[in-house]
Amino acid sequence: MSEITITINGKLCKGQQGDTIFKIAQDNGIYIPNLCYHPSVARYGACGLCLVQDEKSPKLIRSCSTIAADGQVLHTENDRIIQARKIALELLMSDHEGDCVGPCRLACPAETACQEYVKQVALGNTREAVRIVKERLPLPASIGHVCPHPCESECRRRLVEQPISIAMIKRFMAMDQLDKADRWKPEIAPATGKKVGIIGGGPAGLTAAYYLALKGHEVTVHDAMPKMGGMLRYGIPEYRLPKAVLDAEIAEIAETGVKLVNDFKIGRDISFEEYRKQYDAVVVAIGAWKSSPMRCPGENLEGVYGGIDFLRSVALGDPVAIGKRTAIVGGGNTAMDACRTAVRLGAEEVYVIYRRTRSEMPAAADEIDEAIEEGVVFKFLTNPDSIIGEDGKVKAVKLQVMELGEPDASGRRSPVPVEGKFEYLEVDSVIAAIGQRVDVAGFDVGASSLELNRRGIIAADELSFHTSLPGVFAVGDATNKGADIAIAAIGEAGRAADVIDSYLAGAEKPYRKPYVSKRVVTEEDFKDREKQPRVPVVNRPAAERRCDFKPVNSGYTAEEAMKEALRCLECGCHDYRECRLISTANEIEIHPERLAGAKHEKFTETRLVAIERDQGKCITCNLCVRVCDEVVGKGILGLVGRGFETVIKPEFNDPAVVAACKDCLKCAEACPTGALKILTAK
Amino acid sequence: MRVIVGEGSCGLAAGAGKVYEALQTKLEGIESASLGITGCVGMCWLEPIVDLYNGKMLAKRLVHVAPEDADDIAAAVQSGDLSLVDRITIRKEDEDFLRKQTRIALRHCGVIDPADINDYMADDGYQALEKVLGTMTPEEVIEEIKVSGLAGRGGAGFPTWFKWKAARNAAGGPKYLICNADEGDPGAFMDRAVIESDPHSLIEGMMIAAYAIGAAEAIVYVRAEYPLAIVRLENAIKQAREAGKLGKNILGSDFSCDMRIKAGAGAFVCGEETALIESLEGNRGMPRLKPPFPANSGYWHKPSNINNVETFANVAWIILNGGDKFAAMGTEDSKGTKVFALTGKIKRGGLVEIPMGKTLREVIFDIGGGIRDDKEFKAVQMGGPSGGCIPASLLDTPIDYKKLSATGAIMGSGGMVVMDENTCMVGMAKFFLDFTAKESCGKCVHCRIGTKRMQEILTRITEGEGREGDIELLEELCAAVKDGALCGLGQTAPNPVLTTLRYFRDEYEAHINEKKCPAGSCAALLTYSIDPSKCVGCTMCARKCPAGAIAGTVRNPHSIDPEKCIRCGQCLAACRFGAVSVG
Repeated sequence: MSEITITINGKLCKGQQGDTIFKIAQDNGIYIPNLCYHPSVARYGACGLCLVQDEKSPKLIRSCSTIAADGQVLHTENDRIIQARKIALELLMSDHEGDCVGPCRLACPAETACQEYVKQVALGNTREAVRIVKERLPLPASIGHVCPHPCESECRRRLVEQPISIAMIKRFMAMDQLDKADRWKPEIAPATGKKVGIIGGGPAGLTAAYYLALKGHEVTVHDAMPKMGGMLRYGIPEYRLPKAVLDAEIAEIAETGVKLVNDFKIGRDISFEEYRKQYDAVVVAIGAWKSSPMRCPGENLEGVYGGIDFLRSVALGDPVAIGKRTAIVGGGNTAMDACRTAVRLGAEEVYVIYRRTRSEMPAAADEIDEAIEEGVVFKFLTNPDSIIGEDGKVKAVKLQVMELGEPDASGRRSPVPVEGKFEYLEVDSVIAAIGQRVDVAGFDVGASSLELNRRGIIAADELSFHTSLPGVFAVGDATNKGADIAIAAIGEAGRAADVIDSYLAGAEKPYRKPYVSKRVVTEEDFKDREKQPRVPVVNRPAAERRCDFKPVNSGYTAEEAMKEALRCLECGCHDYRECRLISTANEIEIHPERLAGAKHEKFTETRLVAIERDQGKCITCNLCVRVCDEVVGKGILGLVGRGFETVIKPEFNDPAVVAACKDCLKCAEACPTGALKILTAK
Repeated sequence: MRVIVGEGSCGLAAGAGKVYEALQTKLEGIESASLGITGCVGMCWLEPIVDLYNGKMLAKRLVHVAPEDADDIAAAVQSGDLSLVDRITIRKEDEDFLRKQTRIALRHCGVIDPADINDYMADDGYQALEKVLGTMTPEEVIEEIKVSGLAGRGGAGFPTWFKWKAARNAAGGPKYLICNADEGDPGAFMDRAVIESDPHSLIEGMMIAAYAIGAAEAIVYVRAEYPLAIVRLENAIKQAREAGKLGKNILGSDFSCDMRIKAGAGAFVCGEETALIESLEGNRGMPRLKPPFPANSGYWHKPSNINNVETFANVAWIILNGGDKFAAMGTEDSKGTKVFALTGKIKRGGLVEIPMGKTLREVIFDIGGGIRDDKEFKAVQMGGPSGGCIPASLLDTPIDYKKLSATGAIMGSGGMVVMDENTCMVGMAKFFLDFTAKESCGKCVHCRIGTKRMQEILTRITEGEGREGDIELLEELCAAVKDGALCGLGQTAPNPVLTTLRYFRDEYEAHINEKKCPAGSCAALLTYSIDPSKCVGCTMCARKCPAGAIAGTVRNPHSIDPEKCIRCGQCLAACRFGAVSVG
């Protein structure tokens, strides 16, 4: 064998006479994508992803199967190659019903791998479950307690009976690991020498800090409050999230080397300008800490509080004079936290004033139910007209009676006042939980500095999180759309950490939503499933819990969590992390929807006893057929039909032939997608 | 007098079999008469054809002959008064069809009896083989072919001598010679005609090639849809073997090569040489990657040479007449003659062999007689699904490999489908994509799914569902499929789309933007209406309408409900007052 030298992308590469271009590239560390190549079978050249260009040839050539010639000059990444590769991937995806990840993960704003950690809980492995959830969420115990779980709303198990209790499972597994000495700890990359300053120690700031620290950056979090945690600490009452749980998780974040500095306020302790100079990158994660005003007469009376202001005071241990009768205005989760806190503070009559009806309330259903159990009275279809005072103090609320009109932009029917119809509610205090605003005091804002949007919120690019200032990023409630749930802020912070890491490395790479293949399913698909209602969580009696700030319930036991986790339908593809199709598809931006057309019928079959074959995921690369023939020497599989209709079938449709399969599983191992699944019950 | 009935597939389809039977009865007892058959002379639009010969002289050619004409023919033959059959004699202008051709590959077609080796031998048959085996070295044969400039007639136009030489020089053995007779382009039937009409010239050409490359076995891969060709070739192989023209020690030389037929199972892609080899080996017909080329690693991974039928049909002539004489015909880049199958909206559809360099106009108008019903010529599709359409503005393009390629079409195997003003060019592209999408072997992604998506887009355009951006999407797909497909089938599949987009983009735009088919051919885009001033209220259209879309009372003008109308055209056909119009 004689040695040859070829040039790939300007790099001289050595190989042996008779080697393919693909092999020489691989041996020289040059990546060329491929799906149908396999070292143990003959060259084939079906997928068309390994196309490269020889400077001397007008045609693109398949590197997987072209023998390299000495002196060849090749390119693997020019526009023409990328375009052919892109179309190949779009074509493949246009006929691929992969269901890469479950709808739970797609619904999670932080893209947490719900299905995977639920599975680990089902297997009794909470340590691994926590490792998986922490790929995206460094505060699983806290979030497990408080998350309104959009994942559960999309859970396909709801098409059978009820969704999986994903949040409860997360709470269980994270709590289970919280004080374990051998709990999973992340690996921290070698120090990069780059410094990142994070302003705001709430869920967004802490998350950004954690992931940036893991990447080896020197991170400091500064927060204006006495302790870290932001809204998780000062906006969420103790009965929902015990401070001890939050403290433990913050301590774990600190273990990664993140420096935490409290009672530090921009504009007071340092100018923003000065702060920026100290860091290579700055993350503004200051949250939305101002209560929105009601804009009705009397709102400045003594005894009128903002919802988050009220919750913060309680958390700080400051006495709040709410009296015996209090009215909370609003229908969101803050309103529920406020009314239930008021109950616990000893108010005898607690009202919630909401201008629509229960079905339009944004608060979580459980929260509403539990508030009602705890004696809160809901005044639906009413809105404060004015607050009536006496001696400068709240005496009553005049309520405008409302009715529902046409749907508004949010799709909910909008409340319309019933002319001349009012009610009066005698109260000692009013808590306005109708929204939050960003407080940018202390920051130099404006067109030439930190730009705000029309609503007075910090404007940041949706994909790079970069603000108008170079090196300044913003995430969480303080940016763009404003206040949202904690997991949304965590999601943004995690994505921003990746972008900032690339920025610090010298080339900012904005976030790109990963492409995933999706499948549409209906109740019909699950009609044969055995019904298995979710494992209930028993709350403490309302009479007891309204008197203290202890948790409403103690969550799942290990047995309960495991039983609940076993209900998971495992919608997402088992092969998502190993799938070569999806990883290749995400190397470039693809839009298969523009090539949408006929698809193969999706179905699964288990004719080869130990292997389940999913037609929706098959890309007809023929590797299984070739491996069965060339490696195993059986030839049990074959191609049937022509053109688009070509499918892989057990060769002769004959049970005796299929029975000759000795379950060597080599075909499934070679499959580049999740089309062939090894059944564990072999 | 010899009475010869043209019995190619085209003649038989037109009723030549029944004519032969009738003549057999009527000529019985006429001593001066003998009845025989020949193959296809190429004037398919005149079939059934009966030729009357005095010895070797064609005395009269009778066309559109029916069994009932047998009496007159018998009378004419018996009396010698050929004016008795003037009524069915070929017209002068139709004779031009043959007169303007130069026949080399088709030199015996429609002249000799394909079932009789002696007929072939009487017309210089097997003399070239004798010359080769007796006086030439294989290298000299290859040199002669090189001088002739003969290029592969199957479509690619690759120099024949080069392939022969590569196979000759390839290491290892045994070597194989393969004839690709898997003629699959819609509208192409040159190879079928050669095998049916002159099987020995294929055999002789193949034996010469086998000698040149040193092949031990020759195989003809012929599609099973050509049963008559297979029968005639089987018969010819048997006769040739008996006559020592193939088999062991051919013509007494020490050269041996036997020959067999393999019937293909009908997959278009098996016309691609590596897929053909896979099929020959008993595998699913899917192309192999090239290189290695078959010359080094072909059938059973042994050195193999594959040529098309027409290529072989030229070989004996070149040996006998000299490569220089062949090369004297044609152009700088394309030597010799080429056979075309002229079909579509042409007055005289059939087989045409002309020297390279003649223009498309000469073939279509001078030889083919122009467009049927004197409609406007719109385009000619050349090269089948791998080729493209050439518009009226390029009719003076000389027939030459390079010049045809420059138009976006290709020489191809010789299919020439002529289209008139009523042919929708989007519909035409769709027709070919329907074909390639179905015939894709399914191996590579670009072809398997890419042609399917192109076909879907074309379908929606012809159905009035075209979207803005569809043209650009088609262009993007075309470029990527050309670049990414594994074999010639996929790489050339976009050509019909690309050429129609190049020359008839306005038709695509009209379909998409105005939801109109300018050619008035896409059913979904037609609107039928009744002119109230012409309608007499006869109710005929309303009674014919299968959708109940026509309303009106007797003696009052009718009207069509466009919502209910299924655009079947029944009303238009039924109306005797010209009141129904379509637009």
